[in-house]
Amino acid sequence: MSVFKSKRWEQARTAYLFIGFPVILFSIFTFIPIIFAFVISFFDWNLLIPDKVFIGLGNYIELFNDEVFLIAIKNTALYTVIVVPVQTILSLFLAFIMNQKLRGRTFFRTAFYIPAITSSVVTSIIFLWIYSKPGLLNYLLSLVGIEGTDWLTNPNTALFSIMALTIWSTSGYFMITFLAGLQNIPKSVYEAAAIDGASTWTQFWKITVPMVRPVTFFVVVLGLIGCFQVFDQIYVMSGGGPVNATTTMSYFVYNNSFKFFRLGYGAAGAIVLAIIIFIATWLQKKYFPSNPYQ
Amino acid sequence: MKQIKLSKIFFWLLLAVMTVIYLGPFLFSVSISFNAEGDVFSWPIKLLPEKWTLNNYKEAWEGLPFSTWLRNSAIITAVQTICNVFFASLAGFAFARLDFPGKNIIFSIFMASLMVPGIILLVPKFIILNEFGMINTYGGLIVPGLVSVVNIFLMKQFFETVPKDLEEAALIDGCSYFRIYWQIFLPVSKPALAAVAIYTFQGAWNEFMWPVIVSTTSDMFTLPVGMSFLKNEFSVNWPILMSGTIMISLPTLVIFLVFQRYFVEGVASSGLKE
Amino acid sequence: MAKVELKHIKKVYDNKVTAIADANVVIEDKEFAVLVGPSGCGKSTMLRMIAGLEEISGGDLLIDGERVNDLSPKDRDIAMVFQNYALYPHMTVFDNMAFGLKLRKFPKDEIKKRVEHAAGILGLTDFLHRRPKAMSGGQRQRVAIGRAIVRQPKVFLFDEPLSNLDAKLRVQMRMEIKQLHKKLDATMIYVTHDQIEAMTMGNKIVVLKDGDVQQVDKPMTLYNDPANHFVGSFIGSPAMNFLKGNIEKSDRLYFKSDSISFSIPENIEEQVSTLAGKAVTLGFRPESIYDHDYEDRAQLTEKNAITIDVTEPVGAETFVYFTAGETELCMRSSSGLIYENNQEINIGFDVSRLYFFDPESGKRLV
Repeated sequence: MSVFKSKRWEQARTAYLFIGFPVILFSIFTFIPIIFAFVISFFDWNLLIPDKVFIGLGNYIELFNDEVFLIAIKNTALYTVIVVPVQTILSLFLAFIMNQKLRGRTFFRTAFYIPAITSSVVTSIIFLWIYSKPGLLNYLLSLVGIEGTDWLTNPNTALFSIMALTIWSTSGYFMITFLAGLQNIPKSVYEAAAIDGASTWTQFWKITVPMVRPVTFFVVVLGLIGCFQVFDQIYVMSGGGPVNATTTMSYFVYNNSFKFFRLGYGAAGAIVLAIIIFIATWLQKKYFPSNPYQ
Repeated sequence: MKQIKLSKIFFWLLLAVMTVIYLGPFLFSVSISFNAEGDVFSWPIKLLPEKWTLNNYKEAWEGLPFSTWLRNSAIITAVQTICNVFFASLAGFAFARLDFPGKNIIFSIFMASLMVPGIILLVPKFIILNEFGMINTYGGLIVPGLVSVVNIFLMKQFFETVPKDLEEAALIDGCSYFRIYWQIFLPVSKPALAAVAIYTFQGAWNEFMWPVIVSTTSDMFTLPVGMSFLKNEFSVNWPILMSGTIMISLPTLVIFLVFQRYFVEGVASSGLKE
Repeated sequence: MAKVELKHIKKVYDNKVTAIADANVVIEDKEFAVLVGPSGCGKSTMLRMIAGLEEISGGDLLIDGERVNDLSPKDRDIAMVFQNYALYPHMTVFDNMAFGLKLRKFPKDEIKKRVEHAAGILGLTDFLHRRPKAMSGGQRQRVAIGRAIVRQPKVFLFDEPLSNLDAKLRVQMRMEIKQLHKKLDATMIYVTHDQIEAMTMGNKIVVLKDGDVQQVDKPMTLYNDPANHFVGSFIGSPAMNFLKGNIEKSDRLYFKSDSISFSIPENIEEQVSTLAGKAVTLGFRPESIYDHDYEDRAQLTEKNAITIDVTEPVGAETFVYFTAGETELCMRSSSGLIYENNQEINIGFDVSRLYFFDPESGKRLV
């Protein structure tokens, strides 16, 4: 056997050894479950009942006749449509500021980033308190003579309150993402613009925004995927209430699967959600490509 | 001149307001956690406690199963972080530097799986773990998160930036592939390994959805699950709850503050790209 | 004894691209051989095949008379210095040099002795505990060379080791490597795309183009006696001039082109006579052109009047550019005469330094 054959064999053997464990783990906890999820969704699969009955599209038909599921779709869509644009713009804005020569830049960057590294349960609990009837928000509003409400138990405000929390906690994370993109823009481009007479504001719109477009694409995709699957805040703050005003699709999936143990039904709901996410990201790719100049 | 000054004042005012919005809630929860009065719902709200105390922390630590949850969180986070660094770097090395049949197809499947929303995995994963009898065990909490595709991808990306010369020099010096990985690639990849470790640490420490599904009894709760459970059960005692949230947040905060500097140094000093 | 022989060496990549068709080269023991050619000519591939980093598709590679095609790099007893140094950034200079010896399980004191000896030769003694990143480019390259020296290999391989250094340092390192060769008395194979580096360093130069060996010779032989159009054009700076024309026979043999013509001098008349009536490419070096009105030392061809386009005085000599027909030509004048743009002068060619090439194949005819 030639050295290169044996070297190739040594390489392959080493490689299989190196990827062996990840591949096994991936198969058991990602690859097989993806296929398995579809199978489960065609069954009346209840953890408490030993018999698993094949019911074809039964779960899907039930889903679209389930008022709560339809509300969950509406809530999830509303949540996503508002949170994604606001957090994207806010984080780009923060990144733009943090990219300026600025005294105490590290401090401000850290300040904006801290919510993002904090457990969602922690931020939810803190905001639960801020949003409560005798809470901080209402106190601040009372200082300017506005009478607040009980934000999380009022069906008109509950979902929006949670949106605000999400924007607050994720914008710092995406700020860092944008910042990395901004730092890739050569300084000379700004200098050329300044010589051409562009103000800071014009520079932001005419240089920064177009040039970080690939990053924006990435941020929007991540934002979409995250928002469609929002769960932690709902679970901790509202439990989907009041009267399903904050029930999102993933919370619906969780409830049916792990509270009512209707695993087949939950799996079907998850697949519908996954399809919606696929469509949304596909639409984004089509109508908002990451780099239209190429 | 005057206009420039005005816009400067406006700018700093804006920055100050933003900082208050981002940090205020934390400062406020710190203030509550030191409040000696049990009832913090008195109106109007006091931004600072009238009487300070450390008792809330003591009570949270002693009166609640806090130490159990802390232990659970610590074990899960430590094992997942170490395993991710090890296995992701191994697999990343193989994908970046070794040739083997099936490499592209396996890697493509890995990458394609990133497109799949995690939510559809919950039910099947739960059923599989249930078959193995791993629900409400450390195994069930830890094993699914031992290595993530994102980390493998990160390590592969990094290893691809290591010059090929280095590997060939090592081959001529007489290294086996494992030794090249262990003695050459790992030592020069500290920044990437640190990134993987930090992201995994934060993800594992803050993870909520999976442990809330898999842990069913209080002795298996992680800190976030425990805190959300507390909030439901005894939502009256806010100072204790707040002291708990502060304690959960400290490790991630400290790690972030410490490694932020390490990161900057790591990027500046990685003399590889020459 | 470390003779390196390439016998019918072939390299074909998976996608059926032939990088090297059929190379036959013998590098003698203690020789400093330079593989030179433009990028993509296969010189690095050839070196990497000798190193064992690249699979040999066909033929035999012999080191010291032993066929080593099937040995892995570490068993071929070679050492290599890379273009980007390839130093292990996390190890000190000492450890970088010692690494290969440690892997071969050399005793500690022997390693120490060899590393210190090499460091002494290279002037690195004070840097042994530094990391590569705290060193300059030239120092790093010395470490890379040191790593090769300590191994005491049969053959040293250099893959464009100086191309990352600035011009001044490059000249200095060139000398150092040459002196090192003298001191170590070892076989060295050196790859470069820089013909000056090749000319100044090698005892033997292998000129490659498109995967074919063009010529293997001593530096001055290559310069004075190029085997073909390519070697003529590649070796020497400024490059050899080429002029398309015909050999015509009337009362005697003439070279005729659009603008320049002369009778074939007697010393090569017999050889050229076989080309009568054929198209040829004439080659001549810039220094073989003389100002006919002032030159009396060399034997020259007939006068040809030309008009100067541009002059470039660089001190000891002046480059004079002019156009003949549509061909830009260069004359190197070291006579001290001052020329001006648009000046008309009469030139002649040194009769002993004319080369005739086949315009199709590029092969040297006379």
